[in-house]
Amino acid sequence: MLAVELAGDTIRALNGSMVAYDGRMTFKRQGISGGEGLRGALKRRIAGEGMTLMEITGQGTVYLASEATEVTLVPLNGEAFFVESESLLALDGRLRTGVQFVGLRGMGTGQGLATTKVEGHGTVAILSDGPAIALEVTPQTPLSVDPHAYVAHSGQLRQDVVTDVNWRTVLGQGSGESVQFRYQGHGVVYVQPAERGGILEV
Amino acid sequence: MPGYQSITSKMVRVPIGPGQEVYSRRGAMLAYTGRVHFAPSTTAGQGIAGALGRAVAGERTEMMHVTGQGSVMFGKAGLHVTVVELSGGDTLYVEADRLLVHDASLRVGTMFLGEQGGIGGVIRGAVSGQGLFTTTLTGDGSCALLTHGGVMEMPVTPQRPVHVDPQAYVAHRGRLQNKLTTAVGLRDLIGRGSGEAFQLQLVGDGVVYVQPSERKI
Repeated sequence: MLAVELAGDTIRALNGSMVAYDGRMTFKRQGISGGEGLRGALKRRIAGEGMTLMEITGQGTVYLASEATEVTLVPLNGEAFFVESESLLALDGRLRTGVQFVGLRGMGTGQGLATTKVEGHGTVAILSDGPAIALEVTPQTPLSVDPHAYVAHSGQLRQDVVTDVNWRTVLGQGSGESVQFRYQGHGVVYVQPAERGGILEV
Repeated sequence: MPGYQSITSKMVRVPIGPGQEVYSRRGAMLAYTGRVHFAPSTTAGQGIAGALGRAVAGERTEMMHVTGQGSVMFGKAGLHVTVVELSGGDTLYVEADRLLVHDASLRVGTMFLGEQGGIGGVIRGAVSGQGLFTTTLTGDGSCALLTHGGVMEMPVTPQRPVHVDPQAYVAHRGRLQNKLTTAVGLRDLIGRGSGEAFQLQLVGDGVVYVQPSERKI
């Protein structure tokens, strides 16, 4: 659960994620463009990276949560942060969002061809099934992660898909780890201790 | 006699002995030690009139009466278990299906929501899917509640009313008035609402228990 203190400022949060509040709050669903302009909205529609946010404004404390999943706070200082739209809970009103095409890597993982990009100065709250851990990536230590356990990443990272498919996989006797994302460069990758597909199931 | 003891966030151990009998949700026993008997109970400690009231109200979760000497572990479906202690004639208002186990010494009742908020209470129950009745527990003793993802206790004071999503509401205690507030706008009618059109407003002196999920049990 996430508690946000508001003093007249605005945050954006996942539609319907408020569980409780005190003080005065108003909730307003964002327009079709979601603060990204008409072009942004079109891109989002094409990419299938659907995201419905609401604006919360007021004085007091608002509590946000979704399906009892874990919440991780990520502070941003001008860098770009990439996250699946389904893992985004809330963000500061000052942060900009957009859609980033990621190419073919989404194909095999069912995550689609695009991801959501958040930029600016402020805090982002992300959802994960179980507590997320931040893994550091440096040029000396590239990191490979299971696509279903990937939540988000930030920094200057290059992403490619590594496959380890052999005749055993074809026969259905694979280890279950045939496709991985490999990150190279400088940055941080957030990983959850559960594999999506069964996401948010009790 | 030691009270309820949380083993993990999803399991509770309850001591059973003479004078320490409990009612629990049927089938929620996970393990026990000692000589413990489980008897199905249709009245759940409320007597015949109470049982009839429950049947009419639809607040009828199958309960069992646990007696003997030993200790029993309870849990259900991997849901979080929260222990609530009641003392000095405190009343806890909770949905029957969220009640995992409670002391037999607590008085159980069924309350028509209309008693608490007039017609507003009836509408509140209908909108939030809680039905028109709720279960009350009064007296000295303990009980354990089921929630999806644990609970947060939010104190309510006359100066500080609290608003809760009806689906995230679990239970409340104390002298609280609850009222359904709506913020339905034109946007909700055309399907573009913020998803927060209905809220439960709690005013008065007490505590409300909120879960970090909008899933009912």
